[in-house]
Parts: sequence; C-alpha cells; structure tokens
Amino acid sequence: MMWVFDTILSLPVLVIGLAVLAMIGAQVRARLAAGGDLRRLAALPRAHAVNAALSVLIPVLACYAALSVARMIGRQQGAQILPDRTLFWAVLAVALIGCIDAILRASARFRARAASEAWIKALLIAASTTAILTTVGIVFSMVFEAANFFGQYGWRDFFLSTEWAPNFRGNSALGILPLLWGTLYVSFIALAFAVPVGLFAAIYLSEYAGPRLRGIAKPLIEILAGIPTIVYGLFALITIGPMLRDYFAQPLGLGDSASSVMTAGLVMGIMLIPFVSSLSDDAMGAVPQAMRDGSSALGATRSETIRQVVLPAALPGIMGAVLLAASRAIGETMIVVLGAGAAARLSLNPFEAMTTITVKIVSQLTGDTDFASPETLVAFALGLTLFTLTLCLNVVALMIVRKYREQYE
Amino acid sequence: MKEASMIQTGQKISARNVQVCYGDSPAIRGVSVDIAPNTVTAFIGPSGCGKSTFLRCLNRMNDTIDICRVSGDIRIDGEDIYDRRVDPVQLRAKVGMVFQKPNPFPKSIFDNVAYGPKIHGLTRSKAELAGVVENALRKAALWDEVKDRLGSAGTALSGGQQQRLCIARAIATSPEVLLMDEPCSALDPIATAQIEELIDDLRQNFCVVIVTHSMQQAARISQKTAFFHLGSLVEYGDTDQIFTAPHDPRTESYITGRIG
Repeated sequence: MMWVFDTILSLPVLVIGLAVLAMIGAQVRARLAAGGDLRRLAALPRAHAVNAALSVLIPVLACYAALSVARMIGRQQGAQILPDRTLFWAVLAVALIGCIDAILRASARFRARAASEAWIKALLIAASTTAILTTVGIVFSMVFEAANFFGQYGWRDFFLSTEWAPNFRGNSALGILPLLWGTLYVSFIALAFAVPVGLFAAIYLSEYAGPRLRGIAKPLIEILAGIPTIVYGLFALITIGPMLRDYFAQPLGLGDSASSVMTAGLVMGIMLIPFVSSLSDDAMGAVPQAMRDGSSALGATRSETIRQVVLPAALPGIMGAVLLAASRAIGETMIVVLGAGAAARLSLNPFEAMTTITVKIVSQLTGDTDFASPETLVAFALGLTLFTLTLCLNVVALMIVRKYREQYE
Repeated sequence: MKEASMIQTGQKISARNVQVCYGDSPAIRGVSVDIAPNTVTAFIGPSGCGKSTFLRCLNRMNDTIDICRVSGDIRIDGEDIYDRRVDPVQLRAKVGMVFQKPNPFPKSIFDNVAYGPKIHGLTRSKAELAGVVENALRKAALWDEVKDRLGSAGTALSGGQQQRLCIARAIATSPEVLLMDEPCSALDPIATAQIEELIDDLRQNFCVVIVTHSMQQAARISQKTAFFHLGSLVEYGDTDQIFTAPHDPRTESYITGRIG
C-alpha cells in the first residue's frame, strides 16, 4: 500500500491535481456569476479555467527552479543543504495559494484573458532567460576552472610553449600551440574543400537546375548533414585514410601514416558541404528575380549575372554560411580522433598525424580524474580558448555581414 | 534579307503573326505590328491581355521562362531576331528594357550604369567609361541629382530616381530600341511626370515601346498606340486617332472605361 501513497502524494501529481481543481473551481464560479447569461462575463469560463491553470503551474515552476538553484549553490559552498521536505512543502504551498487565489478571483468582472496574457509573457521571458543564464553559467564555470588551472600552471607556458606532453605523475608540458596549429590546419583544409564545392553546388541548384532536379538534389545533399560525425570518422579511418596513404603520401614520400591532417580535413570538408550549400542556396534564392531580369535585359549572360549581381547581393548570407561551417570545423572532435590521430605535433606536412584542441580535451578528461591537477584542469583552459576563438569568428562574421548590409540595402 | 528590309522600309520593328503559349495556354494569338524608329509606341489594354508578354518577345526575355513558346516572325532592322544564329544576349544589348518596378543592382550608382558597358567592352579606358556613365545619366535626367554621390548605393535613391537610374543603365549600352514595361506604375505623380518628360526626349535617339495601364499616359507621350485585348491586337494606329475616333467598338469601350 505504501507505493500508492507515495505516488498520490508525489509532487507532480499533487500540483497537477491542484491545477485541475483550480480550473474547475474558477469555471464553476464564473458560470455561477454569469447566472445563465455568459454575455454578462468579462471573459468566458474557458478563459477563467486557462488563467487558473497558469496561475498554479507557473508560480510552482518558478518556486521549484529558484529553490533548486539555492540548493545547488548551498551544496557548492558546503553550507546547510535545504532538505527535500522543505522543498516539497514550499512548492505545495505555492500551488495551494495559486489555486485558492485563482478560484476566489473568478467573478463576472474579472478579465481572465488579460490576466493569462501576463502569465504567458512570464513563461516566455523565463524560457529566454534560461537560455541566456545557461550561456553565462557555462562561461563562468569555464572561467573559474581555467583560473584555477592558471593558478597552478603559468599562462606563458600554456600559450607560448610548443610542447604538449601531459604526464599524470606531474611535471607535464602543456603548451597549446601544437593543438591550436592542428585545429587551424584541419579546419583550413576542411574549409578549402567545403567552401568551393558547397558554393558551386548551391549556384548550380539555385541558378541552373530545374525545379524537379532541385527537388531531388537538395534533400540528397542535406542528408549529408544528418550523418552522425562518428560515421564520418569511420569513413575517414577505413577508407580515406588508407587511400590517401597508399596513393598520395607514400608515393610522394611524405610519410606512411593513415591518420593525417589531410584525411580528417577532407572528411570534415565533406561533412561541411551541406552547411555551405544549403545556406548559400537560401541566400541566393532570396535575391529577387527582378535583379536577374535586369541583368539579362542588359545583355549579360547567366554566369555574368551570377558573378556580378546574384553573388554580391547574397554575400552576407554566404558569409554566414562559411563562418557557421568554420565554427563547426573548429569544434569537431570525432572525425579528428579517427582521421588525424592523437599525436600533438607542429608540422607543415599535411600527411602527418596531428591532433586538435577538442581531441585533447576528451583525452585529458577520460579515465580517473580528480579535477585538481593541472593535467585535468587544462581541459577548461583549452575549452575557454576554443570558445573565445569561435566567439571571435562569430563577431567578425557579424561585422562583415553588417558592413555589406549597409552597402547593399 | 534585302527584300525583307525593302518591304518594311522605314520600320524599326516588324512583327508578323506572333503567337506565344505558356505551356498549353495561348497568351498571344497572331499579332502583327510595325513600329517606326524615333517614335514612342504605347501598348494599352486590360490586365492579362498579352501586352507585356508581347513586349518581352521583342528582346527575347521570354526565353528565360522555360514553358514559354514563341512562334511567328519578328524582325528588327529586317533581321529575324528568333533566327538560330542570333545570340539573345547580344540582342538584349541592342534592345534595352526598363521594368515595372525599379530594380537597381546592389551596387553604387556609377557601377549600376557602367554595368552594361563593362560587360560588352564598350569602353577602352576609365575616362571613357566615366564619360559614357555621365552621358547616360544626363540623358536620363538624373545627372544633376547624383553627380556628387556616384559612389553611393543605387538602392538608396528614391523610387523615381531609381527608375531613372534603370533608364540610364539601359541607355548606357547604347541600344536602338528601348522597351518599357509599365515604368511608372510604382511611382508617385511627380516622379511619373519626370519620367514621361524623359521618354519624350528619348524619342530623339531611340525607338521607344511602352506598355502602360494609364490611358492618359499613352495619350500624353505616344505617337502610336496599339490596343490589345485577350491576346490579340485589336487596333493599331496614330494615338490621336485611337483616342478620338477608334474604329473598333472594343477599343472605344476600353478607352471610355466600359471594359477592362
């Protein structure tokens, strides 16, 4: 019998029960106030019910979120943790107050529709605040842990050293440069492959292909975007890597490693094609047909029209597509692990194994970790660097887009 | 070829039995018309009567629509423009077009006008190009308003200025024929008056064909008027005659406001 008791008394069921009670109560009171003529009400009984439900559920959510955060902070500070029972009764009290308040407020003159607008607005604000606070939270946790790291390991050695040799018994060399180099090198190869291919595919789809071919080709290209990156990684590991080694690296005398920057870069480039092509295609599709007509009426050929009118007009969108692809490339992990290997190395040879920041974050945090030694905390410094890098990229993208917007619109 | 030009002496454009179909539905049913050089010819008629479609046959802009089929014979200076040897891209350099809505490119005023001359390699030096641009802007009565800001965006101009910029852009490739598809329908009365005055000046150098919904406009600016109805050319003649003594009862109904 105990489990029935538990279930009935469990918090969600109680809260929902109270909400339903409030809905029924408010509706009944509204109908009684109407006295059979609904036109005498400022809001329909249905609206009273909606408002009653919202005035129970939203304060409950707010109260629960606030108390949970308080508990979390309390735990971190090592203070007395708010007991479960307090949380339970506090939430229940809020629900009960909301319920009674909603029922008592229901009257002929109560404008329930306007009141529920306010609740809905609160809900929407809460949703956007959640997104913003999460970002702030991520940044703060990174900054704190990174500061912790720099307390134990000199920032000069981290940013300027070219040696990456972690050693879990201490005395590690943790220089970011080989990793940063690997990240940029792989991303560069990926973009050098994906941007022309993606852009040309987009030009073909939006300017040359007929509607039927377009209807088939566009979804097919977009399937690429749906393939999990680990599958791309396997493709790099068993197909592209050995192929590049056997047909390029060995004949050219550039090494005999199947894992290489080239492998990871090419496969990542394939992964990025749909990002570039799909967004560029949308951007070019948004250029008005009147522009193309104007150009061809002046005796321009199709490719002249594309080069001189369509592409410049679509440039902000194309820029956005490229920078989104760049952010993806910098943050990519799986393809690099399987395609480029895990050796931190500073080299120009694209057929040598190298590694990136993301891969090293994973390897530093796998296994037994205590989050106290520089060997694990370095992951946060690496993550923060990566985050700063992509943030700068986004800012630059925004600036470029804004500049061209001013010029063109 | 010689014979053809002898028959059509004095005509810039001559069309014979032109038919246009969009897929299965006919849009133009056998239109024949001769258009004289240095005149303004107006095409009038109710919406959907085929006047714009016919206009777009004259510079083969209909080629860009896949399902559009044009048959019949259209000659400019005696030359069949639908001949296989004619390059529509070259043709459009000779037959300029101005559209209903101003469509300046997202470029500077200068680059908008220089677009055609650059593509066709009409100028040898930068100075010469600047001269062509200035000349076109002067002819389009826009030079005085924009001469100090040729580098600013063409799209930042007012609607009437944009349309004059588009006219300047079309003039800059030195075409022989200028097609205008309701060039004033997106403009206010003052801008419309400016464009109309401009069209009258353009007659000195070009053969102008204009599609318009405004009968007053047709009466004000054209020497010849063609009335289209349901894809056919109902009546074609001197503008004065069409508006004062139309021969066809349908023309009379239209200009007195009973159909359309």
